[in-house]
Amino acid sequence: MTTLKVIEVNSIIKTYKSEGLETNVLKGISIAIDEGDYVSIIGPSGSGKSTLMTILGCLGQATSGTYLLDKEEVGQFSDRELSRIRNEKIGFVFQAFHLLPGVSAFDNVMIPLIYCSKTPKDAKERVERALIRVGLEHRMNHTPGQLSGGEQQRVTIARSLINDPKIILADEPTGNLDSKNGIEIMATFDDLNEEGRTIIIITHDSVVSEHARRILTLRDGQIASDRINENFKKPRAGFSRVATQ
Amino acid sequence: MTLGIMIGIASLTVIVAIGEGTKSKVLSRIASLGFGPESFSVYSGAGRLFFGRNRNVTSMTLQDADDIRAMPEVAIVVPRQRKRMRIINKKEFTSTRVYGVSPEWQPARQWKVVDGTFFNDMDMERKRKVIVLGATPAYNLFGEKDPIGKKIRVGHVFFEVIGLLKKKGLTESGYDPDNRALIPLTTSMSRLFRQAHLHSMKVVSIHPEMVQKTMEGVTQILRRNHGLSSLADDDFRFVTPEGIMQWVTESEQALNRMLFLVSTVSLLVGGVVIMNILLVSIRERIREIGVRRCFGARRSDITQQFLFESILVSLLGGLMGAILGWTLSTALRHFEFLPVKITLDPFLLAFIFSMIVGLIFGIYPARKAALLSPDETIR
Repeated sequence: MTTLKVIEVNSIIKTYKSEGLETNVLKGISIAIDEGDYVSIIGPSGSGKSTLMTILGCLGQATSGTYLLDKEEVGQFSDRELSRIRNEKIGFVFQAFHLLPGVSAFDNVMIPLIYCSKTPKDAKERVERALIRVGLEHRMNHTPGQLSGGEQQRVTIARSLINDPKIILADEPTGNLDSKNGIEIMATFDDLNEEGRTIIIITHDSVVSEHARRILTLRDGQIASDRINENFKKPRAGFSRVATQ
Repeated sequence: MTLGIMIGIASLTVIVAIGEGTKSKVLSRIASLGFGPESFSVYSGAGRLFFGRNRNVTSMTLQDADDIRAMPEVAIVVPRQRKRMRIINKKEFTSTRVYGVSPEWQPARQWKVVDGTFFNDMDMERKRKVIVLGATPAYNLFGEKDPIGKKIRVGHVFFEVIGLLKKKGLTESGYDPDNRALIPLTTSMSRLFRQAHLHSMKVVSIHPEMVQKTMEGVTQILRRNHGLSSLADDDFRFVTPEGIMQWVTESEQALNRMLFLVSTVSLLVGGVVIMNILLVSIRERIREIGVRRCFGARRSDITQQFLFESILVSLLGGLMGAILGWTLSTALRHFEFLPVKITLDPFLLAFIFSMIVGLIFGIYPARKAALLSPDETIR
């Protein structure tokens, strides 16, 4: 049985121009990611991780190269179509959460549904289900300021899940969390992957990257290594102990 | 930021209310001032309406009045002398306009005498020292008491009060028509003012349509009597109901133009402030824009959101302005400070204007927010 490729990136180059200076951030990257895979992209600061994420997340376009997302050529899309792709196929989780301040968890999770081509009738139930899924049913009407870091990150996960996207794209999801909350969040990602969702985690933390089945290492805008994680799905001693406490 | 819009809209509503009020009050007042469509006045000295350029013109005489009276188009001529003087009753005194007029004054002005009588031809002939008081000096000198038969002093001359004029009340411009006292013209010429020239004449034509022709005839007579060469300017001026109305309208238009300018500037300032606040808010809310774009918001969604906010803010300002304007107009009416007529129009205008301001000044920030690239906004 052949697995469907959800992401196919070929010879992607990204160049930033500033005051006449050209900086090559991505220097010809090619990746193919299977549907349902669990991938972490790891690398030091300045290696091009975040730039790769913006391109994979359809937030920015590559200077050259092709990007097929779910068999659709993203480079050909207008801004309006890119908005639709982001709305329907990608769920974002950010290091800094990026929740709207002063707006309840419920309404924050509702945001992607506002921009659907047709807002579903069961929007309210879907938001409630998503919040129950991340264990925040008792915090629905709390604003981000009233939530802990871990709870805020769980709201962002609920928000990323609300439109049932094919891919969850997480940029340093544990970066702003203590280790206990970090472990809980990673456990949530593990569960989501087990349910069959494609997870891509961008991180510089090797402990976080060890959760993934496949680990891509980026260095100076190029892929330095691409390996299958032999420890995938084995109990992670330090983590599980804390998580079950 | 809604303050500018608020001031703009408030002044706009007040302008319209005052404008409407003034117009309707002026119209009713002009009719009540005794200026029928068939009458006009001729004042001594060049100038416009009540504003003479030279106060010391002595060319208008009783001969002019007699000549005008002889015209077939003329029904009544009332020659007048006038001076502001102090009048005294024992310890009470007041300053008023004292007019020396002929007995035709009363039928010409159609001003009723509520107590006593008006002076007659006999009084005129005998240069009697009799006086008819307006409501204001009568009240100032006698309070609620009956002034008829009492002696009062005008300058150094004693007069007997023989009549009291009906009260008319203040005009919208603050002019008090009741602040006057009337004496026979012959008395004023020989005993009080001691001068032969007239201040003005009131001319009543036989028909409203004859007014224009009468004025032309009067001009000819006066120019001839005053010996004016064909190159010289008139040394008299006409005051007609139309002239007063035109002058009031012009003054009102000037006032309206100024207030309109004030409200336009306020609205513009309010709009610019809204625009700047929105531009600052875009910088503050760049993350929000980024998040919305990440989760599927199109550029048009962001534009709509910011435009909606800007219109909402200026409508809020408009609403507050309309309330303020209504309050001010009501207060002006309550304290009878200015004539005010509250209509629905300025409030509809306020709604439309504030929406336009919000729309115009919201477009630039809204487009700016929408054109931000999603990857830049989220970093």
